Amino acid sequence: MKIAVVGKGGSGKTSVSGVLARSLARSGHSVVGLDCDTNPNLGLSLGVGDLETERLLSLRDQIDEGEQEHAHTWDGILEAYGTDSPDGVRLTVVNRIDNPEPD
Amino acid sequence: MLSSVPESDTVIVADLEAGIGTLTRLPEASVQSTLVVVEPTPRSIDVGLRAALVATERNQGHVTIVANKIANQDDDTRVRNAFADHDVVTVPEDRVMITADRRGSSPIDVDPEAPAVTAISDIATQIVRSGIQNAK
Amino acid sequence: MIRIAFAGKGGVGKSSISGSFARLLARRDQPVLAVDSDPLPGMAYSLGIPVDDRPTPDDVVVEGPEGGVRWVLRPGLDAAGFIDSYATPGPDNVQYLQFGNTWGHVSTLQRGQHAWSQVVKEMDPSAWNVVGDLPGGSRQAMFGWAKYADVLAVVVEPTAKSIHVARQLRNISNATWAPAHVVVVANRVDSPSDVERISDALERPVIGVVPNDPLVTEADKLALSPIDHRPGPFVNAVEQLVAVAESNYDLDKRERTNEKP
Repeated sequence: MKIAVVGKGGSGKTSVSGVLARSLARSGHSVVGLDCDTNPNLGLSLGVGDLETERLLSLRDQIDEGEQEHAHTWDGILEAYGTDSPDGVRLTVVNRIDNPEPD
Repeated sequence: MLSSVPESDTVIVADLEAGIGTLTRLPEASVQSTLVVVEPTPRSIDVGLRAALVATERNQGHVTIVANKIANQDDDTRVRNAFADHDVVTVPEDRVMITADRRGSSPIDVDPEAPAVTAISDIATQIVRSGIQNAK
Repeated sequence: MIRIAFAGKGGVGKSSISGSFARLLARRDQPVLAVDSDPLPGMAYSLGIPVDDRPTPDDVVVEGPEGGVRWVLRPGLDAAGFIDSYATPGPDNVQYLQFGNTWGHVSTLQRGQHAWSQVVKEMDPSAWNVVGDLPGGSRQAMFGWAKYADVLAVVVEPTAKSIHVARQLRNISNATWAPAHVVVVANRVDSPSDVERISDALERPVIGVVPNDPLVTEADKLALSPIDHRPGPFVNAVEQLVAVAESNYDLDKRERTNEKP
Protein backbone atom coordinates (compact mmCIF):
# COMPACT_ATOMS: atom_id res chain seq x y z
CA MET A 1 0.00 0.00 0.00
CA LYS A 2 1.24 3.49 -0.82
CA ILE A 3 0.48 6.58 1.19
CA ALA A 4 1.35 10.10 0.03
CA VAL A 5 1.68 12.82 2.66
CA VAL A 6 1.34 16.42 1.48
CA GLY A 7 0.88 19.86 2.99
CA LYS A 8 2.15 23.39 3.26
CA GLY A 9 5.72 23.76 4.50
CA GLY A 10 5.74 23.83 8.28
CA SER A 11 2.38 22.09 8.63
CA GLY A 12 4.05 19.07 10.22
CA LYS A 13 3.92 16.83 7.17
CA THR A 14 7.35 15.29 7.71
CA SER A 15 6.83 14.81 11.44
CA VAL A 16 3.50 13.09 10.75
CA SER A 17 5.11 10.91 8.04
CA GLY A 18 7.87 9.83 10.38
CA VAL A 19 5.62 8.91 13.28
CA LEU A 20 3.17 7.22 10.91
CA ALA A 21 5.91 5.03 9.47
CA ARG A 22 7.34 4.09 12.87
CA SER A 23 3.85 3.29 14.24
CA LEU A 24 3.06 1.04 11.30
CA ALA A 25 6.33 -0.79 11.75
CA ARG A 26 5.63 -1.29 15.45
CA SER A 27 2.31 -2.92 14.58
CA GLY A 28 4.10 -5.45 12.43
CA HIS A 29 4.02 -3.99 8.92
CA SER A 30 6.97 -3.90 6.58
CA VAL A 31 7.47 -0.18 5.97
CA VAL A 32 9.49 1.99 3.63
CA GLY A 33 9.84 5.73 4.12
CA LEU A 34 10.31 7.59 0.85
CA ASP A 35 11.67 11.11 1.16
CA CYS A 36 10.68 12.98 -1.99
CA ASP A 37 11.66 16.42 -0.76
CA THR A 38 14.41 18.55 -2.32
CA ASN A 39 15.47 19.19 1.26
CA PRO A 40 15.14 15.68 2.67
CA ASN A 41 14.48 15.69 6.41
CA LEU A 42 12.37 12.56 6.87
CA GLY A 43 15.33 10.78 8.43
CA LEU A 44 15.16 13.12 11.42
CA SER A 45 11.47 12.37 12.02
CA LEU A 46 12.16 8.66 11.63
CA GLY A 47 14.87 8.81 14.27
CA VAL A 48 17.98 8.06 12.22
CA GLY A 49 19.72 11.17 13.50
CA ASP A 50 21.44 14.23 12.09
CA LEU A 51 24.58 12.66 10.65
CA GLU A 52 22.85 9.85 8.81
CA THR A 53 20.25 12.24 7.41
CA GLU A 54 23.08 14.43 6.09
CA ARG A 55 24.85 11.41 4.65
CA LEU A 56 21.81 10.42 2.63
CA LEU A 57 21.51 13.97 1.35
CA SER A 58 25.16 13.95 0.17
CA LEU A 59 24.59 10.60 -1.47
CA ARG A 60 21.54 11.96 -3.27
CA ASP A 61 23.51 14.96 -4.46
CA GLN A 62 26.35 12.75 -5.69
CA ILE A 63 23.88 10.68 -7.67
CA ASP A 64 22.31 13.79 -9.15
CA GLU A 65 25.72 15.07 -10.15
CA GLY A 66 26.65 11.78 -11.77
CA GLU A 67 29.34 10.95 -9.27
CA GLN A 68 27.55 7.81 -8.19
CA GLU A 69 25.97 5.02 -10.18
CA HIS A 70 22.21 4.97 -10.50
CA ALA A 71 20.53 1.83 -9.25
CA HIS A 72 17.87 0.62 -11.62
CA THR A 73 15.47 -1.52 -9.68
CA TRP A 74 13.30 -0.66 -6.71
CA ASP A 75 15.19 -3.16 -4.55
CA GLY A 76 18.46 -1.78 -5.85
CA ILE A 77 17.43 1.73 -4.87
CA LEU A 78 16.42 0.64 -1.40
CA GLU A 79 19.75 -1.08 -1.01
CA ALA A 80 22.00 1.61 -2.44
CA TYR A 81 20.33 4.83 -1.33
CA GLY A 82 18.66 3.75 1.85
CA THR A 83 19.33 3.36 5.49
CA ASP A 84 17.65 1.51 8.31
CA SER A 85 15.58 3.43 10.81
CA PRO A 86 14.49 2.17 14.21
CA ASP A 87 11.69 -0.45 14.18
CA GLY A 88 13.01 -1.65 10.83
CA VAL A 89 11.65 1.15 8.67
CA ARG A 90 13.78 1.40 5.53
CA LEU A 91 14.34 5.00 4.54
CA THR A 92 15.32 6.08 1.08
CA VAL A 93 15.82 9.52 -0.42
CA VAL A 94 14.69 10.09 -3.98
CA ASN A 95 14.71 12.98 -6.31
CA ARG A 96 16.02 12.71 -9.82
CA ILE A 97 16.60 8.97 -9.74
CA ASP A 98 15.53 6.94 -12.76
CA ASN A 99 12.30 5.03 -12.56
CA PRO A 100 13.14 1.49 -11.52
CA GLU A 101 12.68 -1.36 -13.97
CA PRO A 102 10.61 -4.30 -12.74
CA ASP A 103 12.66 -6.99 -11.01
CA MET B 1 8.95 6.95 -9.48
CA LEU B 2 6.38 6.25 -6.81
CA SER B 3 3.88 5.03 -9.38
CA SER B 4 6.26 2.40 -10.74
CA VAL B 5 7.12 0.82 -7.41
CA PRO B 6 5.68 -2.70 -7.39
CA GLU B 7 2.70 -3.37 -5.09
CA SER B 8 3.40 -5.64 -2.15
CA ASP B 9 2.62 -6.03 1.54
CA THR B 10 5.11 -3.28 2.29
CA VAL B 11 3.56 0.02 3.23
CA ILE B 12 5.31 2.93 1.56
CA VAL B 13 5.00 6.30 3.27
CA ALA B 14 6.00 8.98 0.76
CA ASP B 15 6.78 12.39 2.21
CA LEU B 16 6.24 14.72 -0.74
CA GLU B 17 7.79 18.13 -1.27
CA ALA B 18 6.05 20.93 0.62
CA GLY B 19 3.34 22.63 -1.40
CA ILE B 20 1.42 21.18 -4.28
CA GLY B 21 3.91 21.28 -7.13
CA THR B 22 4.91 17.64 -6.82
CA LEU B 23 1.33 16.55 -6.35
CA THR B 24 0.37 18.10 -9.66
CA ARG B 25 3.14 16.12 -11.37
CA LEU B 26 2.59 12.77 -9.64
CA PRO B 27 1.24 10.28 -12.23
CA GLU B 28 -2.44 9.54 -11.71
CA ALA B 29 -3.43 6.78 -9.30
CA SER B 30 0.07 6.46 -7.85
CA VAL B 31 -1.11 5.88 -4.28
CA GLN B 32 -4.05 4.38 -2.40
CA SER B 33 -4.15 7.07 0.28
CA THR B 34 -3.28 10.76 0.44
CA LEU B 35 -2.92 12.51 3.77
CA VAL B 36 -3.23 16.28 3.53
CA VAL B 37 -1.64 17.82 6.63
CA VAL B 38 -3.16 21.13 7.60
CA GLU B 39 -2.61 23.59 10.45
CA PRO B 40 -5.61 25.51 11.72
CA THR B 41 -4.60 28.74 9.95
CA PRO B 42 -6.22 30.22 6.82
CA ARG B 43 -2.91 30.06 4.96
CA SER B 44 -2.39 26.37 5.65
CA ILE B 45 -6.04 25.55 5.01
CA ASP B 46 -5.83 27.32 1.65
CA VAL B 47 -2.93 25.12 0.56
CA GLY B 48 -4.71 22.05 1.93
CA LEU B 49 -7.84 22.79 -0.07
CA ARG B 50 -5.82 23.03 -3.26
CA ALA B 51 -3.93 19.85 -2.42
CA ALA B 52 -7.12 17.92 -1.67
CA LEU B 53 -8.59 19.06 -4.96
CA VAL B 54 -5.56 18.01 -7.00
CA ALA B 55 -5.32 14.67 -5.20
CA THR B 56 -8.99 13.94 -5.89
CA GLU B 57 -8.78 15.03 -9.52
CA ARG B 58 -5.75 12.82 -10.07
CA ASN B 59 -7.20 9.74 -8.34
CA GLN B 60 -4.60 9.61 -5.61
CA GLY B 61 -6.63 7.23 -3.48
CA HIS B 62 -8.69 8.17 -0.49
CA VAL B 63 -7.99 11.72 0.67
CA THR B 64 -7.84 12.23 4.43
CA ILE B 65 -7.30 15.63 6.05
CA VAL B 66 -4.96 15.57 9.04
CA ALA B 67 -5.82 18.58 11.19
CA ASN B 68 -2.50 19.12 12.96
CA LYS B 69 -1.51 21.29 15.96
CA ILE B 70 -5.13 21.58 17.09
CA ALA B 71 -5.03 23.59 20.31
CA ASN B 72 -8.72 24.14 21.02
CA GLN B 73 -12.27 23.77 19.74
CA ASP B 74 -11.98 26.86 17.52
CA ASP B 75 -9.03 25.30 15.74
CA ASP B 76 -10.89 22.06 15.21
CA THR B 77 -14.00 23.80 13.92
CA ARG B 78 -12.00 26.02 11.58
CA VAL B 79 -10.51 22.99 9.82
CA ARG B 80 -13.65 20.85 9.81
CA ASN B 81 -15.72 23.69 8.37
CA ALA B 82 -13.22 24.23 5.59
CA PHE B 83 -13.13 20.53 4.74
CA ALA B 84 -16.78 19.70 5.25
CA ASP B 85 -16.75 17.16 2.41
CA HIS B 86 -13.71 15.24 3.58
CA ASP B 87 -12.69 12.81 6.31
CA VAL B 88 -10.83 14.84 8.93
CA VAL B 89 -8.66 13.35 11.66
CA THR B 90 -7.18 15.40 14.48
CA VAL B 91 -3.69 15.59 15.96
CA PRO B 92 -3.57 17.78 19.06
CA GLU B 93 -1.03 20.54 19.63
CA ASP B 94 1.69 18.87 21.65
CA ARG B 95 5.02 20.06 22.98
CA VAL B 96 6.56 16.71 22.00
CA MET B 97 6.63 17.74 18.33
CA ILE B 98 8.54 20.94 19.10
CA THR B 99 10.97 19.13 21.40
CA ALA B 100 11.58 16.48 18.74
CA ASP B 101 12.17 19.11 16.06
CA ARG B 102 14.60 21.01 18.25
CA ARG B 103 16.54 17.86 19.02
CA GLY B 104 16.36 16.40 15.53
CA SER B 105 14.68 13.27 16.91
CA SER B 106 11.52 11.35 16.15
CA PRO B 107 8.59 12.31 18.40
CA ILE B 108 7.96 8.60 18.99
CA ASP B 109 11.41 8.35 20.61
CA VAL B 110 10.95 11.49 22.70
CA ASP B 111 7.65 10.21 24.17
CA PRO B 112 5.75 7.29 22.61
CA GLU B 113 2.75 7.97 24.86
CA ALA B 114 2.42 11.65 23.95
CA PRO B 115 -1.08 12.62 22.73
CA ALA B 116 0.12 13.68 19.29
CA VAL B 117 2.05 10.45 18.85
CA THR B 118 -0.84 8.21 19.85
CA ALA B 119 -3.18 10.22 17.61
CA ILE B 120 -0.92 9.63 14.61
CA SER B 121 -0.61 5.99 15.53
CA ASP B 122 -4.40 5.68 15.49
CA ILE B 123 -4.50 7.39 12.10
CA ALA B 124 -1.97 4.87 10.82
CA THR B 125 -4.15 1.96 11.92
CA GLN B 126 -7.26 3.48 10.34
CA ILE B 127 -5.57 4.25 7.03
CA VAL B 128 -4.13 0.80 6.57
CA ARG B 129 -7.30 -0.96 7.65
CA SER B 130 -9.40 0.94 5.11
CA GLY B 131 -6.68 0.57 2.51
CA ILE B 132 -6.78 -3.19 2.85
CA GLN B 133 -10.60 -3.16 2.79
CA ASN B 134 -10.69 -1.01 -0.34
CA ALA B 135 -8.33 -3.35 -2.10
CA LYS B 136 -10.62 -6.33 -1.54
CA MET C 1 17.37 51.89 -0.65
CA ILE C 2 17.37 48.36 0.68
CA ARG C 3 17.01 45.26 -1.47
CA ILE C 4 16.43 42.23 0.70
CA ALA C 5 15.08 38.74 0.02
CA PHE C 6 14.01 36.30 2.73
CA ALA C 7 14.67 32.58 2.30
CA GLY C 8 14.44 29.48 4.47
CA LYS C 9 12.71 26.17 5.05
CA GLY C 10 8.94 26.25 4.52
CA GLY C 11 7.19 27.20 7.73
CA VAL C 12 10.09 28.95 9.50
CA GLY C 13 8.36 32.33 9.29
CA LYS C 14 9.71 33.87 6.07
CA SER C 15 6.36 35.27 5.01
CA SER C 16 5.52 36.61 8.47
CA ILE C 17 8.88 38.31 8.77
CA SER C 18 9.17 39.62 5.20
CA GLY C 19 5.64 41.00 5.13
CA SER C 20 6.02 42.64 8.52
CA PHE C 21 9.43 44.01 7.51
CA ALA C 22 7.87 45.59 4.41
CA ARG C 23 5.10 47.21 6.46
CA LEU C 24 7.46 48.57 9.11
CA LEU C 25 9.90 49.91 6.53
CA ALA C 26 7.03 51.64 4.76
CA ARG C 27 6.03 53.25 8.06
CA ARG C 28 9.42 54.96 8.07
CA ASP C 29 8.26 56.92 5.04
CA GLN C 30 10.04 54.64 2.61
CA PRO C 31 8.64 53.54 -0.77
CA VAL C 32 8.41 49.75 -0.55
CA LEU C 33 7.85 47.18 -3.24
CA ALA C 34 6.95 43.81 -1.69
CA VAL C 35 7.59 40.90 -4.05
CA ASP C 36 6.20 37.43 -3.43
CA SER C 37 7.61 34.75 -5.71
CA ASP C 38 6.32 31.81 -3.72
CA PRO C 39 3.86 29.74 -5.76
CA LEU C 40 1.73 29.55 -2.62
CA PRO C 41 0.57 32.95 -1.32
CA GLY C 42 2.15 33.84 2.03
CA MET C 43 3.30 37.43 2.03
CA ALA C 44 -0.15 38.82 1.31
CA TYR C 45 -1.41 37.61 4.69
CA SER C 46 1.38 39.29 6.62
CA LEU C 47 1.11 42.46 4.53
CA GLY C 48 -2.56 42.68 5.41
CA ILE C 49 -3.73 42.42 1.80
CA PRO C 50 -6.66 40.19 0.84
CA VAL C 51 -5.14 37.18 -0.87
CA ASP C 52 -5.19 37.67 -4.59
CA ASP C 53 -4.62 34.68 -6.76
CA ARG C 54 -3.98 36.86 -9.77
CA PRO C 55 -0.42 36.55 -11.01
CA THR C 56 0.78 38.94 -13.66
CA PRO C 57 -0.57 37.97 -17.09
CA ASP C 58 1.57 36.14 -19.62
CA ASP C 59 1.52 38.95 -22.14
CA VAL C 60 3.67 41.28 -20.06
CA VAL C 61 6.67 39.83 -21.86
CA VAL C 62 7.30 39.10 -25.51
CA GLU C 63 10.12 37.34 -27.31
CA GLY C 64 13.16 39.55 -27.55
CA PRO C 65 15.21 40.35 -30.65
CA GLU C 66 17.33 37.62 -32.24
CA GLY C 67 20.60 37.19 -30.37
CA GLY C 68 19.45 39.20 -27.40
CA VAL C 69 17.61 38.51 -24.16
CA ARG C 70 14.92 35.88 -24.70
CA TRP C 71 12.02 37.69 -23.08
CA VAL C 72 11.57 41.42 -22.82
CA LEU C 73 8.77 43.59 -21.50
CA ARG C 74 6.20 44.11 -24.23
CA PRO C 75 6.51 47.31 -26.26
CA GLY C 76 5.08 50.25 -24.43
CA LEU C 77 5.55 48.67 -21.02
CA ASP C 78 8.46 49.95 -18.97
CA ALA C 79 9.47 49.13 -15.39
CA ALA C 80 7.53 52.02 -13.88
CA GLY C 81 4.49 51.17 -15.98
CA PHE C 82 4.70 47.53 -14.96
CA ILE C 83 4.70 48.40 -11.29
CA ASP C 84 1.95 50.92 -11.82
CA SER C 85 -0.27 48.42 -13.64
CA TYR C 86 0.31 45.25 -11.70
CA ALA C 87 1.25 46.11 -8.15
CA THR C 88 -1.53 45.95 -5.58
CA PRO C 89 -1.49 48.82 -3.07
CA GLY C 90 -1.57 47.71 0.54
CA PRO C 91 -1.60 49.17 4.04
CA ASP C 92 1.11 51.77 4.73
CA ASN C 93 1.21 52.18 0.95
CA VAL C 94 3.30 49.05 0.40
CA GLN C 95 3.06 48.08 -3.28
CA TYR C 96 2.69 44.34 -3.67
CA LEU C 97 3.62 42.16 -6.63
CA GLN C 98 2.71 38.50 -6.62
CA PHE C 99 4.41 36.28 -9.16
CA GLY C 100 3.50 32.83 -7.99
CA ASN C 101 1.00 30.84 -9.90
CA THR C 102 -0.55 28.57 -7.35
CA TRP C 103 -1.10 25.70 -9.72
CA GLY C 104 2.60 25.47 -10.47
CA HIS C 105 2.41 25.83 -14.22
CA VAL C 106 6.06 26.27 -15.05
CA SER C 107 5.77 28.37 -18.19
CA THR C 108 3.73 31.05 -16.48
CA LEU C 109 6.17 31.24 -13.59
CA GLN C 110 9.08 31.53 -15.97
CA ARG C 111 7.50 34.40 -17.84
CA GLY C 112 6.79 36.12 -14.57
CA GLN C 113 10.39 35.64 -13.59
CA HIS C 114 11.61 37.14 -16.85
CA ALA C 115 9.26 40.07 -16.52
CA TRP C 116 10.52 40.68 -13.02
CA SER C 117 14.19 40.46 -14.13
CA GLN C 118 13.53 43.11 -16.75
CA VAL C 119 11.73 45.34 -14.29
CA VAL C 120 14.61 45.06 -11.83
CA LYS C 121 17.15 45.94 -14.50
CA GLU C 122 15.25 48.91 -15.79
CA MET C 123 13.70 50.41 -12.71
CA ASP C 124 15.08 53.52 -11.12
CA PRO C 125 17.22 52.15 -8.24
CA SER C 126 16.38 55.08 -6.03
CA ALA C 127 12.64 54.68 -6.55
CA TRP C 128 11.98 51.58 -4.45
CA ASN C 129 13.12 49.52 -1.54
CA VAL C 130 12.51 45.90 -2.54
CA VAL C 131 11.49 43.33 0.07
CA GLY C 132 10.98 39.82 -1.23
CA ASP C 133 9.63 36.52 0.00
CA LEU C 134 11.20 33.55 -1.75
CA PRO C 135 9.75 30.05 -2.11
CA GLY C 136 10.51 27.72 0.80
CA GLY C 137 13.53 25.44 0.58
CA SER C 138 16.73 25.70 -1.37
CA ARG C 139 16.04 24.67 -4.94
CA GLN C 140 18.30 26.49 -7.37
CA ALA C 141 15.36 27.76 -9.41
CA MET C 142 14.26 30.03 -6.61
CA PHE C 143 17.40 32.09 -7.00
CA GLY C 144 16.21 33.26 -10.36
CA TRP C 145 13.81 35.35 -8.35
CA ALA C 146 16.42 36.79 -6.04
CA LYS C 147 18.73 38.54 -8.47
CA TYR C 148 17.57 41.94 -7.27
CA ALA C 149 18.69 41.12 -3.75
CA ASP C 150 21.68 42.82 -2.17
CA VAL C 151 20.94 40.97 1.07
CA LEU C 152 19.78 37.37 1.35
CA ALA C 153 18.31 36.92 4.81
CA VAL C 154 18.08 33.25 5.69
CA VAL C 155 15.39 32.73 8.30
CA VAL C 156 16.27 29.91 10.71
CA GLU C 157 14.51 28.34 13.69
CA PRO C 158 16.43 26.42 16.34
CA THR C 159 15.41 23.06 14.84
CA ALA C 160 17.54 20.48 13.07
CA LYS C 161 15.39 20.59 9.93
CA SER C 162 15.51 24.35 9.58
CA ILE C 163 19.27 24.38 10.10
CA HIS C 164 19.73 21.67 7.45
CA VAL C 165 17.91 23.73 4.85
CA ALA C 166 19.66 26.94 5.91
CA ARG C 167 23.03 25.28 5.41
CA GLN C 168 22.06 24.26 1.90
CA LEU C 169 20.95 27.81 1.19
CA ARG C 170 24.19 29.20 2.53
CA ASN C 171 26.19 26.79 0.37
CA ILE C 172 24.34 27.67 -2.81
CA SER C 173 24.84 31.33 -2.09
CA ASN C 174 28.56 30.98 -2.73
CA ALA C 175 27.83 31.22 -6.45
CA THR C 176 29.19 34.28 -8.26
CA TRP C 177 25.73 35.64 -8.91
CA ALA C 178 24.77 35.40 -5.26
CA PRO C 179 23.71 38.43 -3.25
CA ALA C 180 26.46 40.59 -1.74
CA HIS C 181 25.40 39.73 1.79
CA VAL C 182 24.14 36.42 3.14
CA VAL C 183 22.91 36.86 6.68
CA VAL C 184 20.75 35.07 9.19
CA VAL C 185 17.57 35.97 11.00
CA ALA C 186 16.91 33.68 13.94
CA ASN C 187 13.19 33.07 14.51
CA ARG C 188 11.14 31.43 17.29
CA VAL C 189 14.02 31.90 19.68
CA ASP C 190 13.51 30.87 23.31
CA SER C 191 16.96 31.58 24.72
CA PRO C 192 20.45 32.89 23.90
CA SER C 193 21.64 29.31 23.42
CA ASP C 194 19.24 29.04 20.48
CA VAL C 195 21.00 31.95 18.81
CA GLU C 196 24.39 30.44 19.55
CA ARG C 197 23.33 27.15 18.04
CA ILE C 198 22.12 28.83 14.87
CA SER C 199 25.16 31.06 14.59
CA ASP C 200 27.57 28.15 15.07
CA ALA C 201 25.75 26.03 12.51
CA LEU C 202 25.66 28.65 9.79
CA GLU C 203 28.75 30.75 10.35
CA ARG C 204 27.09 33.91 9.09
CA PRO C 205 26.17 37.15 10.89
CA VAL C 206 22.90 36.92 12.76
CA ILE C 207 21.35 40.31 12.08
CA GLY C 208 18.01 39.71 13.73
CA VAL C 209 16.73 37.68 16.68
CA VAL C 210 12.98 37.15 16.72
CA PRO C 211 11.52 35.52 19.83
CA ASN C 212 8.70 33.00 20.04
CA ASP C 213 5.54 35.07 20.23
CA PRO C 214 2.07 33.53 20.67
CA LEU C 215 0.56 36.73 19.23
CA VAL C 216 1.88 35.72 15.81
CA THR C 217 0.07 32.38 15.90
CA GLU C 218 -3.03 34.24 17.06
CA ALA C 219 -2.72 36.68 14.16
CA ASP C 220 -2.21 33.79 11.72
CA LYS C 221 -5.37 32.06 12.90
CA LEU C 222 -7.36 35.29 12.59
CA ALA C 223 -5.95 35.95 9.09
CA LEU C 224 -4.44 39.18 10.34
CA SER C 225 -0.98 40.59 9.79
CA PRO C 226 0.99 40.51 13.06
CA ILE C 227 1.34 44.27 12.51
CA ASP C 228 -2.41 44.76 12.53
CA HIS C 229 -3.10 42.40 15.42
CA ARG C 230 -1.36 43.38 18.64
CA PRO C 231 2.22 44.65 18.78
CA GLY C 232 4.39 42.35 20.84
CA PRO C 233 7.88 40.82 20.93
CA PHE C 234 7.70 39.73 17.29
CA VAL C 235 6.83 43.18 15.98
CA ASN C 236 9.48 44.80 18.18
CA ALA C 237 12.11 42.41 16.89
CA VAL C 238 11.23 43.05 13.24
CA GLU C 239 11.36 46.80 13.94
CA GLN C 240 14.89 46.32 15.16
CA LEU C 241 15.70 44.27 12.09
CA VAL C 242 14.49 47.11 9.87
CA ALA C 243 16.70 49.54 11.81
CA VAL C 244 19.73 47.27 11.35
CA ALA C 245 19.00 46.93 7.65
CA GLU C 246 18.70 50.68 7.22
CA SER C 247 21.98 51.27 9.02
CA ASN C 248 24.01 48.56 7.36
CA TYR C 249 22.48 47.68 4.04
CA ASP C 250 21.32 50.92 2.50
CA LEU C 251 22.65 50.90 -1.05
CA ASP C 252 22.46 54.69 -1.33
CA LYS C 253 24.62 55.22 1.77
CA ARG C 254 27.12 52.72 0.47
CA GLU C 255 27.42 54.43 -2.87
CA ARG C 256 27.79 57.85 -1.32
CA THR C 257 30.68 56.73 0.85
CA ASN C 258 32.14 54.54 -1.91
CA GLU C 259 32.35 51.58 0.43
CA LYS C 260 32.86 48.14 -1.05
CA PRO C 261 29.84 45.89 -0.34
